[in-house]
Amino acid sequence: MAIVDAGRPYPASASNRRPRLRWRLVAIYAGLIAVSVVLLFPVYWMLTISLKLPREIYRLPSLWPETTTLDNYRELIDERGFLTNIRNSVVVAGSVTIVSLIISSLAAYSLVRFRYRFRGLVGRLILFGYLMPTSLLFIPLSIIVARLQMGNSLLGLIVVYLTFSMPLSTWLLTGYFRGVPADLEEQAMVDGATRMGALLRIVLPLSAPGIVAVGIFTFTAAWNELLLALIFITSENKRTVPLGLQYLITGDVFLWGPIMAGAVLSALPVMILYFLAQRFMIQGMTAGSVKG
Amino acid sequence: MAVIAAPREHAGDRRRMTFARRQALWGYLMVLPVSLILLGLVAYPFCYAIFISFTSRVVGDPGEWVGFANFRYLWGWSSFTRALQNTVTMVVVSDLLKLVIGLGLALLLNEPLKGRGIFRAVVLLPWAMPGFVAFLVWKLLLTPIGGGVNLVLTETGLHGGIIDWLGQRSTAMPAVIAATVWRGFPFWCISFLAALQNVPGELYEAAKIDGASAWRRFLDVTLPAIRSVILVVVLLSSIWTANSFENIWIMTQGGPSDATMVFPVLAYFGMQSQRLGEAAAVSVALVPALLVLVFVMTTLIKDDD
Repeated sequence: MAIVDAGRPYPASASNRRPRLRWRLVAIYAGLIAVSVVLLFPVYWMLTISLKLPREIYRLPSLWPETTTLDNYRELIDERGFLTNIRNSVVVAGSVTIVSLIISSLAAYSLVRFRYRFRGLVGRLILFGYLMPTSLLFIPLSIIVARLQMGNSLLGLIVVYLTFSMPLSTWLLTGYFRGVPADLEEQAMVDGATRMGALLRIVLPLSAPGIVAVGIFTFTAAWNELLLALIFITSENKRTVPLGLQYLITGDVFLWGPIMAGAVLSALPVMILYFLAQRFMIQGMTAGSVKG
Repeated sequence: MAVIAAPREHAGDRRRMTFARRQALWGYLMVLPVSLILLGLVAYPFCYAIFISFTSRVVGDPGEWVGFANFRYLWGWSSFTRALQNTVTMVVVSDLLKLVIGLGLALLLNEPLKGRGIFRAVVLLPWAMPGFVAFLVWKLLLTPIGGGVNLVLTETGLHGGIIDWLGQRSTAMPAVIAATVWRGFPFWCISFLAALQNVPGELYEAAKIDGASAWRRFLDVTLPAIRSVILVVVLLSSIWTANSFENIWIMTQGGPSDATMVFPVLAYFGMQSQRLGEAAAVSVALVPALLVLVFVMTTLIKDDD
């Protein structure tokens, strides 16, 4: 930069430039800090309310908690059966993730490596599924699920969750597999490996980080889903986490303490996973979606 | 990329045929499960939804073909026209805000600043948070009693009284949009940031030597380079926002008196009232717009290849 500036016919003098630069830097940091406060405040509020006593939440609200308590967590788990919600969500999101990952890695590999007649069509079907809003599908799905006698069951929920998890994971995985060089597999196959062997021993290990990231992404998508759960689950002991929490707000009295305790418990694991996988996810979301 | 698929020169015609055929067979086999699931769980329900929207179906009775009667009914129904207006408002306003904030922040975070990593992690927070949690927290922040927003306004002396943000018609929509932008813009920011990092630095140096101002460099170098990412993000996000259920459902359930009513919530209420034909028509009314967006998106992606 300095070299370029020196080459100008009338270089700006150092004394002129520095204060301007410094003010610019101050402005940038001020902006960033302001944005950070707006971004962090809701997270802070969630945490403090979950640790506050009811009288501090409603009667004497303050920005800082005066006494901290785990009562809200205790109430949520002991009286509201939140552990059942967590168990249901883990079962549903876990199954959806495993099924999606297996089936969609096969499909993504096929789309990237093989040439056949309906490849373009399948690709378009996946994009179509990826963009298909759940709000359009829930009415026919409710009729289909009722016909299959799978209403109000976790299995039924797992099946309908495939409507969004399958296109999502195939879409993202296609992007990752495209980044794995074909030469390596070819080499392995020349050396006598079968197609499956090459897939299992070369492609899977090479795209492992991507697959893990897609798995996390699929898991959280299923973990966070509310609309379909609201429609398909009717009994209390089959409620997933979002469902359990949303039923706490539809009561007459908002139990903000336990609700925020539940918010913390359901957000924390997902957020940790996100931060671990975000590097791969960002690559996948943008590279995958633009070049998909 | 297609190295494996390329015919080998030393192979005879017969062998080439079998090779091509065998690999096509593998291809079909591996893509079959996903195709079947997508046909059965996405394509079929999609067509089925369109069919139902033309019938007088209710729960327990398939009803009969009624042509456009459901759509004519919707058109004269105030909740539906509110939902239409609200959905358009929400998509346009939140897209614009997310674009300005997301791009602005991405440009800042693309500068070689100290502590940039921390800020990037902070930007990721709302995106990493599950949507239902984010909107629960915003509902709490915006409640009149015990809500953080009113508290901050009073403590900083910006506003004395207590505002029921989600409970009155004038503030409900802006409040819901604010929460939606808070949760949604990180995806934009991070996508833009990834795109910005792929812009070759030499382009900027060249533009600088030519004496281009920062604003011109932005217009002539940055924008063209990330154009396609911006378009894809705008399209994706518009589709998501137009069909988002949980933000409205958790914060307002469409109220007060339809001030924040949107299509998915209206369709959900329709289904609860067991009138499946009309409920399906509510969602299907969005299909033309959806198809346009999907069409634009597919052509965009083809151009990029």
